[in-house]
Amino acid sequence: MLTTAKRLNDQANPIRDLRTRSEIMEEVQSIASGPLRKIVRKIDQEGHYPLEIIADLGRAGALGAHLSVGGRRLGLAIEAMQAVSRVCGSTGFLMWAHDVCGIYLERSGKPALVEGLLPDHVSGRSFGGTALSNPMKAFSGIEKMALRADRVEGGYHVSGSLPWVSHIGRGQYCGAIATASGTDGSEPREIMFLLRLDDTVDLRTCPHFSGMEGTSTWGIGLEKYFVADDHVIADPAKPLIGRIRNEFILLQAGMALGVIEGSIDSIRDVEPSLGHVNQYLHNRPHELQAEFEDLRSRILTLAETPSESDLDYTLGVLDARAQSAELALKASQSALLHQGARGYLMSSAPQRRIREAHFVAIVTPAIKHLRWEMARLSREVYPS
Amino acid sequence: MTDQLSWRQYICRVCGLVYDEKLGDPDSGLAPGTRFEDIPDDWYCPVCHVTKADFEPYELKVASSEPMARIASVGATGVVIVGSGVAGWSVAQAVRRTDVSIPITMVTGCNGDVYHKPELSVALSRDLSPERIRKEEGPAAAARLGVNLVCETQAMGLSTQQKQLRTTRGTLNYSHLVLAFGAKPALPKVLSGEHCWRVNDLQAWSGLYEQLREGPKRIAIVGAGMVGCEIAEDAARAGHDVILLDRTPYPLADLLPPPAAMRVGRALQGAGVLFLGGVQVQGIAGEGSQKRIQLAGRRPLDVDIVISATGLTTPPRLLKGAGIAFDNGIVVSPRTLETSAKDVYALGDCISLGGRPCRFIEPIGHHARAIASRIAGGSSEADYDIANVAIRLKTKSIALSLRGMPHPKGEWKLIRENDAELAMVQLMGSVVTSHLNAA
Repeated sequence: MLTTAKRLNDQANPIRDLRTRSEIMEEVQSIASGPLRKIVRKIDQEGHYPLEIIADLGRAGALGAHLSVGGRRLGLAIEAMQAVSRVCGSTGFLMWAHDVCGIYLERSGKPALVEGLLPDHVSGRSFGGTALSNPMKAFSGIEKMALRADRVEGGYHVSGSLPWVSHIGRGQYCGAIATASGTDGSEPREIMFLLRLDDTVDLRTCPHFSGMEGTSTWGIGLEKYFVADDHVIADPAKPLIGRIRNEFILLQAGMALGVIEGSIDSIRDVEPSLGHVNQYLHNRPHELQAEFEDLRSRILTLAETPSESDLDYTLGVLDARAQSAELALKASQSALLHQGARGYLMSSAPQRRIREAHFVAIVTPAIKHLRWEMARLSREVYPS
Repeated sequence: MTDQLSWRQYICRVCGLVYDEKLGDPDSGLAPGTRFEDIPDDWYCPVCHVTKADFEPYELKVASSEPMARIASVGATGVVIVGSGVAGWSVAQAVRRTDVSIPITMVTGCNGDVYHKPELSVALSRDLSPERIRKEEGPAAAARLGVNLVCETQAMGLSTQQKQLRTTRGTLNYSHLVLAFGAKPALPKVLSGEHCWRVNDLQAWSGLYEQLREGPKRIAIVGAGMVGCEIAEDAARAGHDVILLDRTPYPLADLLPPPAAMRVGRALQGAGVLFLGGVQVQGIAGEGSQKRIQLAGRRPLDVDIVISATGLTTPPRLLKGAGIAFDNGIVVSPRTLETSAKDVYALGDCISLGGRPCRFIEPIGHHARAIASRIAGGSSEADYDIANVAIRLKTKSIALSLRGMPHPKGEWKLIRENDAELAMVQLMGSVVTSHLNAA
């Protein structure tokens, strides 16, 4: 029997028959330095949601490289996200949300999602994100589950609300998880499903954020929202989350690497004119560059074996993700200090990157969550 | 009046705004004194706009064990020691003795209390409580030695180029790093941590002690190596019913030649330990306070407490991530204790010499002084020959001592054997490499 991924490959491959790394990266670079660079301020200042850029990235083959249909090249997906985030962190974040949503769709094994939606998703013809911040924290024991699902004929009724979900909008979709109460006699557990943002879903405007504008972030309210069985991604959800969690976290490093690299770019930009005074600052470009290279190579090594499941691998992923957030904070702060007054202009990249780095540090899993989780996983278990 | 004394508070899970029933939210029309359940469902958080459903009762969530000292965020350099066992504190003391002002930071997964680990194998029969085993509390030792103690903190990653140690409480810069994090009990897959005690540090031992002080228990100890034999005798002497299990036919059979191993077996039996050799543990199941040990080809064994003593292993993750040479332990120079990375040293249970783990107390003082000398820019080396290390089994029923590191495959020669004494030597070619005496 053919696997779903194989069947997809046998059809007209939506991402152009596995383009090579250099073909994809060349096109991503030209999107980032061309049309994306032109609208960075519009995204950051006016909240423009750059779906046209995401569509271009999809056509380039940059939104499915990490999937089986894209050759399972997680490192390439991270590199592409890095190149985009180097120019615009918000767009890098949209790419991440889109990438992990692709993982949910592919791993669901449901024809309605794998064959019905995934081809459009990876090629940038349809758009969707992820609403897993709350369940990820809930699974680590940090907070409670926000959505509840009750079994009904042919599916579930889901109720509850989620505060901030990005890369969504009317007609789009996202992966979400709810607690199935077990009132029908089944075991209490969590189910993962595709939430289509149709008219029955309440989309609430979010307050104005410090940064990351243009990411189309909404509050979601559900009141007996119907999830059909063919839209259930995983039941129970936990085993699937256990299998994809490392990828989910490691992909985020692409955003961080881009913010760090962009910060180093900004420092080097002013070296010819300000190097004589900048020499007195901490975190000079060569120091940041060395740490960046070291981190990047560790991340790309981890990305070579995304299916590994042992504890040491997971700790390596959490550690790399935490370090990437710390370095993003350090590098972006340093970039502003190196640029001085010009970096403080609202139109400058360094002040925007500081806000992007703050986002990298607080988005789930935030630095504190990563440390909590590393401490939890390192703890020895003894009889009680 | 009673009502007003019990005004409740609810917190927005999203932004942390606290709704206080006493104060209400006049801006959105909730008068002071509005009970949470009386708030209309369409009310929304004045800060982040989520609804009432996203509020939960406000309970204070304070850190259970916030460490005293914190990690300075920038520029903290100096000596960083990972681990607070005998090896960690020995290095802290030796470094402080050679340099009164150098900053020393100690990162430890436990609370940093000072104690002598070998005592844990003999503490039950001496009726030593954790308080009596503890020589000094971590913070007191840290204050005495001028050490910044960062406890309940795990070392997660190491970049030797940047000289950075990443931990679960932040990143530390170091000028010199000393790895003294010891070894971990190697728990076989069939023994799960939730059913099985391991005696390798005071915190774990204290938990076991709490259960044993309730009264005589049936204890099964899996693994009849040195620690297994010592604890078995100690627990039997303390009045517990002890069975010692091993896959080999005699206790200590991997270390000792059969005549010596059999002698240890007889001595333990005399002390009240039932030794069951040649058995394969297949699993443990817990039912309430009872544990059932499944054995291959035998009836299961029902006991109250299971202790695993199946050996130690040095976790390689930190070293492998940093590209530091590792061979059954951190590879170090026997004289300088330097690892393969610049300015990174190691000592104690985590090191290996010539590919063999070096888990002896005796060399630690020598090693700590050599490291302190190097850090201070001196050239003193450890004047200690590991080939001559003395090992003594801490049992009362038999006095067994070894000098030298016997090779598991080496040949033993009998020197003397009578009721009172056994003497043997191990030869590699014609050279005597180990001496064994049992009385």
